[in-house]
Amino acid sequence: MEKDRIKQAYLDYVLRHNEPPASVYLLAQQLNLPEAEFYRYYPNFAAIDREIWADFGRQARTQASQEPVWQEYGAREKLLGFYFTLLEILKQNRSYALQSLRRSLRGMPALTPRVLDDFRQDFETFVADLLREGRLSEEVAPRPLLQEQYPRAFWQQALFVLGFFARDESLNFERTDAAVEKAVTLSFDLVGRNTFDSALDLARFLFQSSRR
Amino acid sequence: MSEQTDNPGPSQPEPAPLASLPTSKVARAARFAKTGLKVGANYVKHYAKRAAGADVTPEDLHAANAAELYGALSEMKGSVLKVAQMLAMEKNILPAAYAEQFAQAQYQTPPLSGPLVSKAFRDAFGKSPYELFDEFDPQARQAASIGQVHFARKDGRALAVKVQYPGVADSIRSDIRLVKPIALRVLGLDEAAVRPYMQEVETRLLEETDYALELRRGEQIARESAHLPHLEFPRYYPELSAARILTMDWLPGQHLKEFLATDPPQAVRNQLGQTLWDFYMHQLHALRQVHADPHPGNFLLRAEHGGTVGVLDFGCVKEVPADVHQLFTALLAPDTLADEARLLALLEQAGVLRPTDAPPLRQLYLRTLHDSLSLVGRPFRQPVFDFGAPAYMESLYALGDNLMQQPELRQQREPRGSEHFIYLNRTYVGLYALLTELRASVRTGAAEA
Repeated sequence: MEKDRIKQAYLDYVLRHNEPPASVYLLAQQLNLPEAEFYRYYPNFAAIDREIWADFGRQARTQASQEPVWQEYGAREKLLGFYFTLLEILKQNRSYALQSLRRSLRGMPALTPRVLDDFRQDFETFVADLLREGRLSEEVAPRPLLQEQYPRAFWQQALFVLGFFARDESLNFERTDAAVEKAVTLSFDLVGRNTFDSALDLARFLFQSSRR
Repeated sequence: MSEQTDNPGPSQPEPAPLASLPTSKVARAARFAKTGLKVGANYVKHYAKRAAGADVTPEDLHAANAAELYGALSEMKGSVLKVAQMLAMEKNILPAAYAEQFAQAQYQTPPLSGPLVSKAFRDAFGKSPYELFDEFDPQARQAASIGQVHFARKDGRALAVKVQYPGVADSIRSDIRLVKPIALRVLGLDEAAVRPYMQEVETRLLEETDYALELRRGEQIARESAHLPHLEFPRYYPELSAARILTMDWLPGQHLKEFLATDPPQAVRNQLGQTLWDFYMHQLHALRQVHADPHPGNFLLRAEHGGTVGVLDFGCVKEVPADVHQLFTALLAPDTLADEARLLALLEQAGVLRPTDAPPLRQLYLRTLHDSLSLVGRPFRQPVFDFGAPAYMESLYALGDNLMQQPELRQQREPRGSEHFIYLNRTYVGLYALLTELRASVRTGAAEA
């Protein structure tokens, strides 16, 4: 497909030159494509970057769910499975991943690199589904209002994982694995029924009692 | 330090998911973790006071910490720590034991999640464990100190698969780096003097994370001990093993405690004890390398053929250099104790006594070591030794307590003796403890001499 061919050529170029092509014209010429043809698929290079990242996420979700025990996994394990598969994919594409993140952060130093925009949307939908599933299996405590914010909190976790991976200097990035394991366990301890719910329950009770 | 439970079968109830490590080792580690917390709290208090403008010296802090540590120490009967004092080769080997306990408390890892186990397999083989084995139980059956043991099946064979937590070797290194200065300062020891001991412990701990090494050693010791009767080793599967994954046969049998609960007859207990004794003497004297972790969890016992011992886990193996072997054997030889000049010479060779020592101190060391050696060497002076006699282990413990009380010994801040003795001592004490629990009567081979 033409779109995939453009994406692949762009990826190869970035990997080889450690920066995007100077112009769309140059890439199109390399592909023997009229420049106008490029714009039928992508408005600019940044859109390709976003799509490549979104592909990483999609691929990780598909691959992780092909694990034979996936159906037996709880929400916590599914999220872990997703992260570990994603890290495997990123390990194969580490040079591109680091390069595009750095480039995106340089252009616009924000909390979330713009290059992750599409990836983020998919991720938050995925997490929202997992949390819904977790509420059914009672892994996640129902907390109206607050729970609407969970996907955003989990996004911060995803950023933490990516950042850890980017800075990890251990062989085979083993320490990132440990970081993921611990971070996800903590997050599910937090969203599960815990001290916070009991405290809230007592507070609510006292408040109601005082109004009688 | 892995442990397996009895042979699993489809009929058996599934074990409860693993929440924590079930061995007594944990209790000890927890004890130390608690001390660690208190020591940490002392630091917090110290800095809080200082922040508040109070005039406190670091010495106050160290005194407070030392008190906590010594408190923990006296509560720890039967632990590795106790070992060092018990054999009394050297009371000041303690800091090394501290370091080990500390490190273990630190790197007691939480259980690995299913996906992390899968990840370990993908990293090693490019396949998930479900593709690699015909059957793989995602629920861990047992905890190991740095990972966990899963049950698997392939080509009809029941397998034990040990999976290590990622990045353990790294964290051991950094833990030791973290703990060492604290331990040294609290105990008022000199870094240079303790270095060989620390080095020894660190090396053993790091070796334990190297599953490829464990596999080689397990195969080697099994091969070279094949002629010993009633002994069983798991077969290892190199093609199903990697740096962080170790696959071996799932051996049948029960741990000491469960086995003893079945009330085995004396003859079976004797044969088991004899098997262990012969195995260890063979390792020490013929192989010159010993399975240095004779922890009850590392042996599987059953009554078949009059008593069979399965040996697991060659993670901690101590190689014994020739001169150390000669020294150790000579110290335990029956005629050494009667000959004071020879004992003196040997102790000087071992670095426990020094020509520069003041005479009273020299006498104290000599008396202490004479007492402990006569106790520890007692089995070697009788053709048949009954480890079932309760008085023996009790007198060993009493000796350890006595040594702790000696103010002159406690004041010694300088470690002495060969660093190789740390793990040799641990081996002996572990072996003696196993034999005592078994209440076995053992032919020690002393009569032939």
